Amino acid sequence: MGKKERISVKICVGTACFVQGGADLLLYNEFLDPVVLGGCDIEGVSCLGGCKDPNAKDRPPYVQIDGVIHGDMTQEKLCKLLSEAVHA
Amino acid sequence: MLELNNQYTVMKRQVHAEVLKAFFAGTLEQEVDALPIKIIPKARISNRCCIYKERAMVRYRIMALMGINIETEDDELRSLSSYVREVMEEDKPVAPILTTISTACSSCPPDRYLISEACRGCFARPCLANCPKDCITFTNGQAHIDESRCIRCGKCKEVCPFHAVVHIPVPCEEACPVNAVRKNEEGYVEIDYQKCISCGRCAMSCPFGAIVERSGVMPVVKMLKAGQHVTALIAPAIEGQFPGTLAQIKQALLATGFSSVMEVSQGAETTSLHEAHELSERKAEGKGYMTTSCCPAYMELVDKHLPFLAERRSSALSPMGYAALEAKKAHPETKTVFIGPCLAKRVEAVRLKTIDGVLTFSELASLFIAKGVDVREMEMADLGVTDSFEDCREFALSGGVASCVLSRYAKADEVVVLPVNGIDKKMFRTMKIWDKRQPEANLIEVMCCDGGCINGPGVVVKPSVALKLRGGNKAAAPVKAMRAIVGARE
Repeated sequence: MGKKERISVKICVGTACFVQGGADLLLYNEFLDPVVLGGCDIEGVSCLGGCKDPNAKDRPPYVQIDGVIHGDMTQEKLCKLLSEAVHA
Repeated sequence: MLELNNQYTVMKRQVHAEVLKAFFAGTLEQEVDALPIKIIPKARISNRCCIYKERAMVRYRIMALMGINIETEDDELRSLSSYVREVMEEDKPVAPILTTISTACSSCPPDRYLISEACRGCFARPCLANCPKDCITFTNGQAHIDESRCIRCGKCKEVCPFHAVVHIPVPCEEACPVNAVRKNEEGYVEIDYQKCISCGRCAMSCPFGAIVERSGVMPVVKMLKAGQHVTALIAPAIEGQFPGTLAQIKQALLATGFSSVMEVSQGAETTSLHEAHELSERKAEGKGYMTTSCCPAYMELVDKHLPFLAERRSSALSPMGYAALEAKKAHPETKTVFIGPCLAKRVEAVRLKTIDGVLTFSELASLFIAKGVDVREMEMADLGVTDSFEDCREFALSGGVASCVLSRYAKADEVVVLPVNGIDKKMFRTMKIWDKRQPEANLIEVMCCDGGCINGPGVVVKPSVALKLRGGNKAAAPVKAMRAIVGARE
């Protein structure tokens, strides 16, 4: 198996995301599988703008994974998305 | 207690943000009756029986946000806009802090023990042997509890090797330390305000959101909008509640329209000094133990349930009380708004008369969203000289108050400290015994919420997140920088 690119994960910590559950995502060290954690570069970032899109179908909190923005993020959803991305 | 991150919290914050947005846009009166429909659109998959009930709940939550007592205002035909007009004209009385939404209440059946399918009908049958009321019978190889004889002692649950016995509580009744929450004859929740100590545990525990606080946000936003000089008194627990440093939170408050910001930790220093002095006096006179007096729910508990503790309480004002005096001294015309995690502080505010408004962190978060203020994008405001009271930021944590008092006490090693970390039913029973048997301590630090104020009913994030973001501003820095610091340390 060749060396894979690390996955870039940006957790939005704008006020709206942080308040609506995004804060819990910052505990990623506790809820992510260490293998998944090792394959990702996770950081908290300023507002990704998801909450300001009037046509958005999903709601805060938002997380950007390799450039794609995902809404309605929860710890479980993030676990699933990241382990899929890492093991792909 | 309900996990903080849940759909009800999300809904509540959304309602609050929408109402405040409309308020600052000056369109609240016109828009308010349409808000329930905007928040619960047709396409939404309902968590309750239907979207119409959910909309009705949103209507009640808007009423609670406006400080209206839902128990007495039950005219369902009355429009929200007429309430808005009323609230704009004059502020609603503060007490009681909590109110119930009887239609939201699920009328949970009385608490009971149930033996689940996990029962293997084992040979030893410890449940049968240990039940004091002989109410366990075996049919088809599984144990059953005879409801009419069960006294809910929980022995069977303790002894079952398969964990097959479940306790199904009534969350609000279980959470209330003083048995002030009960079901009325129709089975709906009712609060006995003669007993209630405004700790907010019931509101935090109801999964149906049937117990709500009557918010104090409207009087505050009215002050802000009118351009009055408003001083934000920020509780020590605020650090860690928002994605930024304390200095950024201060700047965010200024950007939201507060004229000045004062840390309540500053008042906590005066409280600590006063309590340290009082403690030494009491010790010298052999007067026995002293309790802290900064937790307002504890103050209510003593006034309503444990009168013998009244003389044991420190005579110090709470940090909020001292901070308000400071603020009024600095700007005599200022309006003081306490911003904290606490509901009972509003009861204290009414008593003190130096506090003009109280917000919870959760309400402040909605205010930030409504005003488009992003804490993380803020510059660092100047916090001023904080050296003398920096340690008092620990007032927000269990153990923090006592340690601040002791560090201002000459012979700290002679003092025995007993921390009361959260008042639940059991702790309340223990405290009752103190009347007969004095606790072996000199200083008793009482916090009604488990873990301290950072676990109060008005917080934004759960304590584990708050603790990560608190302290020395390192962790509150952007996560990337935080990792660089951790990496450097390793």
